[in-house]
Amino acid sequence: MDQGLQNLETSSFYVMLMAYTLCMFFHWAWIGTKKELMGRFATYLSIVGLVANTAAIILRMIIAGRPPLSNSYEFLLAFIWGIIFVYLFIEYRYKLRSLGAFVMPIAFLILMFIIMSMGPEERIAQAIPPALKSKWLTFHVVTAMFSYGAFATSFGLGIMYLLKIGEEGKGKKSNPHGIISRFPALDIIDELSYKVIGFAFPLLTLCIITGAIWANYAWGTYWSWDPKETWSLITWIIYAAYLHARLMYGWKGKRAAWMTIFGFAAVLFTFFGVNYFLPGLHSYAISQPNILV
Amino acid sequence: MKEQREGIVEYIWRVFSSMKLGLILLGLVALVSGVGTVFPQANLDPGKAKEVGEIWQTLGFTQIYSTVWFRLLMGLLCINLVVCSIQRFQGIYNRTFALKPPVSVSNVFSKIKAKLAGESEPLKISVQDVLKRNGFKLTINSGDNGWSFIAIKRRLGNWGSLISHISFVVLVIGAILGTTMGFKGFMMSSAGSTVPINSISVSKGRINQDFSVRIYSAEDRFLPNGERDNWYTDMGIIENGTEVLRKTISVNHPLTYRGVTFYQSSFANGASLTVDLKDQKLPIVLQDHGGNYFQAPGTELYLIAAAIKSDPQKPIMLYQVYRGKGVQPVQTGQINAGETIDVQGEYKLTLEANAGFTGLQVKQDPGVMVVWLGCALLLLGLFLSFYWRSMVVLGVFESGQGTEGELTMGTMAGKVTGGVQEEFDRLIHDIQAK
Repeated sequence: MDQGLQNLETSSFYVMLMAYTLCMFFHWAWIGTKKELMGRFATYLSIVGLVANTAAIILRMIIAGRPPLSNSYEFLLAFIWGIIFVYLFIEYRYKLRSLGAFVMPIAFLILMFIIMSMGPEERIAQAIPPALKSKWLTFHVVTAMFSYGAFATSFGLGIMYLLKIGEEGKGKKSNPHGIISRFPALDIIDELSYKVIGFAFPLLTLCIITGAIWANYAWGTYWSWDPKETWSLITWIIYAAYLHARLMYGWKGKRAAWMTIFGFAAVLFTFFGVNYFLPGLHSYAISQPNILV
Repeated sequence: MKEQREGIVEYIWRVFSSMKLGLILLGLVALVSGVGTVFPQANLDPGKAKEVGEIWQTLGFTQIYSTVWFRLLMGLLCINLVVCSIQRFQGIYNRTFALKPPVSVSNVFSKIKAKLAGESEPLKISVQDVLKRNGFKLTINSGDNGWSFIAIKRRLGNWGSLISHISFVVLVIGAILGTTMGFKGFMMSSAGSTVPINSISVSKGRINQDFSVRIYSAEDRFLPNGERDNWYTDMGIIENGTEVLRKTISVNHPLTYRGVTFYQSSFANGASLTVDLKDQKLPIVLQDHGGNYFQAPGTELYLIAAAIKSDPQKPIMLYQVYRGKGVQPVQTGQINAGETIDVQGEYKLTLEANAGFTGLQVKQDPGVMVVWLGCALLLLGLFLSFYWRSMVVLGVFESGQGTEGELTMGTMAGKVTGGVQEEFDRLIHDIQAK
């Protein structure tokens, strides 16, 4: 039965990969050609991808007999799920399909990272050390999944804003037939980006706090200035600065858009950078690169 | 002279009440924290920290988070937060509990506005009904030329920012309590041993408690599929010769007694043996890989377990015996369960069974509850700020001819207008529908 489930999980992964990849191309084709059919395909494919993504996560949970959040592969699947879920919510709620052209490549690049850097042995369900057997780890990763997903979406909105203002800043009105014409008004992109960060910031805080609670239960230290913890704090500070600058000094528009890009770069560094550029300092990250996401 | 001193105090107050200073300090904390991840830190990797150039070590780059200047930075940030909070308290209080209806239409300053024409009394009743039904607290003023109102909903949302800023100060207080009080220690003990708490090795602080810890068993358990389940320690607390608490702990499931918490941290195999020394029988426990040693009384012989096979059915131990300060063992060999060997003609040794050694992190941190309080306040503050935004609706009705007139309504939307606009439009629609 396990082999059957394993095959089904692998199939779900590849369906997801195909769906998200095609979805990205359809999004690009849609903003390029303005053909509604392309746009519909893009939306349908993102839904198919999310369903396959969910299936891959659930099947992993059944196979491993624990929440599937305990190694890099499992967390990245959850991260992608968070990105697509938040994106689809925004597409549905704000009718903002053009955002997909900027968010889907993030999911695609993460999938490429999985395929190119993780061998099959890293992708299968593995035994986990006692320290990872904690319900706090589940809360920690679930909050990371939604907050990182939302930050990825705000990054896409930031790129859209900069492209649009770049075009309009040249003094010419945006071409009614051009790609940029698909984007909503600058004010709407800017405010939506703020809303998304306003949703994600408390979740990032909760993610850091649940990580601290878990560390305290497991090792008796809620904060040890380990590089992973420190970079999650730096990410938190960047978004806190964004919110303060916006609320108090009216930092909107271009500066705010750059902050969303800067913030997401910190998110990526917290996950990938610490594991791969600062390996000597975080021994736990080398063997379990995911545990403090 | 007095005036000049007040001037300095005011100046300092003004500097510390500046949000700009807060942002600069936050940026510096982020920068310094980032630098600390590039340099190996002594608390995480003491070996690598020592390899860093001496100048960096002297400047504190290898223990950046405990340097005076990092603490000074955090202290300044706390002062900034406290001063900002005090400064803003009155304003938030007024915006929450002392709202005054606008005096004239010009006071309805808002990007989101609407005008409704109608008769004074029906419009007033309609506004009251709709706003109350939607959870607003309403204050109405009536005048000769009409009436005005102000209403607030989710008013606790106003306090979110203040609570989250104060929470940071609470977190720092918790961290200071943890650093300056309590202790951090470690014990590696075998099953069957009783250890006075004040005899364990301590890396920070001092132990004032005087109870003992009894280790009943230490196990490395595996699941039927061969995966490690967890490390378990069945332990008891002995106070004045009486056992007052007994619990089995494991990784992620610690035990706390009188503020001292025991965390399952590691595990090592061991073997229990009997030493027959001139008709005196001594039970001893040796830890795998030479984790401890036994020196037979009255001899210069040191016995260690070089390796232990922890099969419960057939335990085997490879032993080494050293004499005095000699670096080469004078006797080595293998001993099986139940077997007795002679050690240098001085004593006899029998291997009885396996015995686990449990590694426990022992900690007393009086600040940890304060830290959790700070975390709870931070989450509460952020929840109120982002998910429980207060909304204020205000309006002025100015009579025209007879009872007819015009109601100008607006809302204080803050920096986010999207959701507020929708809610305001809904209110206007409901008022008009009535």
